[in-house]
Amino acid sequence: MGEYSILVVEDEHTLRRLLEYRLGKQYSVRTAANGDEALDRVAEGIPDLIISDIMMPKMDGFALQASLQEQKNTRAVPFIFLTAKADEHSRLKGMRTGVDDYITKPFDIEQLLSRIERLLERTKIFQTQLDARIGQDFSQKLMPKNLPRVEGYRAFFHNTPREHGGGDLFDWSEAWPGNYLFTIGDVMGKGLQAKFYAFSFLSYVRGTLHAMSRATRSPAELMKRVNQLLMEDQVMEETFASLLLMRWEPSRNLITYSNAGHCRPILVTPERTEVVSESDLILGLDPNADFTDETLELPPNSALIFYTDGLLEQQLRTGEMVGEKGLIGAASSALGRPDPINSVLNSILQKSISPNFEDDILVFWLEREG
Amino acid sequence: METTMSFAVEPLNDETVIVRIGKALDFRNAADFKTACQDQVRDGMRNFILDFSETGILDSTGLGSIFSLYRQVSPLEGQVVFAAVSRPVQVVVQLTRTYKVFRQFPSVEAAREALS
Repeated sequence: MGEYSILVVEDEHTLRRLLEYRLGKQYSVRTAANGDEALDRVAEGIPDLIISDIMMPKMDGFALQASLQEQKNTRAVPFIFLTAKADEHSRLKGMRTGVDDYITKPFDIEQLLSRIERLLERTKIFQTQLDARIGQDFSQKLMPKNLPRVEGYRAFFHNTPREHGGGDLFDWSEAWPGNYLFTIGDVMGKGLQAKFYAFSFLSYVRGTLHAMSRATRSPAELMKRVNQLLMEDQVMEETFASLLLMRWEPSRNLITYSNAGHCRPILVTPERTEVVSESDLILGLDPNADFTDETLELPPNSALIFYTDGLLEQQLRTGEMVGEKGLIGAASSALGRPDPINSVLNSILQKSISPNFEDDILVFWLEREG
Repeated sequence: METTMSFAVEPLNDETVIVRIGKALDFRNAADFKTACQDQVRDGMRNFILDFSETGILDSTGLGSIFSLYRQVSPLEGQVVFAAVSRPVQVVVQLTRTYKVFRQFPSVEAAREALS
């Protein structure tokens, strides 16, 4: 979180210096001697808050405020007027034009500081709420509304996004008759930006599938193309993603997948629980990267678990992270349970330092019944 | 607020540089790492030895910043290599299969010899 920047607009030299000095202890302060200069400062960088005198040579406070109101990117900057006397006329005029606060000279510096703090706080809360809403909206779009229903199989999905979480994504479609394609991925980074890129990235995957589904059913070939697109795109240049593409053919109990550096799935059978280990390079690094398809047959009474790294990175009371080892332990006893994912999560939380998960959690459980 | 996290950078020759990663490379200092490396690339450096001997945390944002560096230097025929990789870093490298891209050396000394 950066330091707030304040622009002080005041023609009287002594007062300008005083404000610069006092506010400078807490904020990054720039100054201007009139409205004209203030517009130059704003053009160099938009401040978080403006404190302006009203009566000034060249451009006065009202003209400055009106000019900032005309531009979309400066309209919302909190604005405090300072004026020489309790001038009711000016005060009313100021309030009408959308000034946020008004302080009469001579003023108490502590009072000014507390008003600044209050205004900045308000702006920050508004921004945070807005971010959270947009983030939530993205999160919902990156997750499925339902799951495929196939006789002989049970499918479960769980997702708890964190407000400052990353770009987890999950999607599925019946790409070919009787064949389902699942997309599980994680776009690197945190917060709204990661969610935005995850959203764009998912469109790539869908677009690629749409364009290529007639030509191929190979997850590895789709993966190669997604990687090429990601590397060619200027906007997505700084985007790296781990991705697992999985084709499920329930009639033959076959799973074919290509894994680009994503967390490795866990296979749970009544006899043992193990990591499905084949995996290739993460996307966005090498335009010529090759990917391979791996196929496995899901035996009766067994399940495959797909997930993102938030699950593995949970801290345990032993001082270690859950890791693949911890997940294997939690998964083996969940097979056949009414809600297996819940059972896995609870078993991990019982050993965790924190009573909740610290990062985004995404788990998909696909189980073949006995 | 000025971030105080900085990275010790030690030139080996006119195109190779050693960057000490320190205790953590994560969402808090990944931007600083990126800036530090960009400055080096601008100065003509294209081979980077990353010293992970003290590193306990490497998260996906941190790894992303290393990937950005890789994408900057690979068109220049440059390399990014990992030296003295600690266990937590090794876990991340294994998971993302990035050992296919970043050569690893047991020590900075070994990397230094290989690249000089």
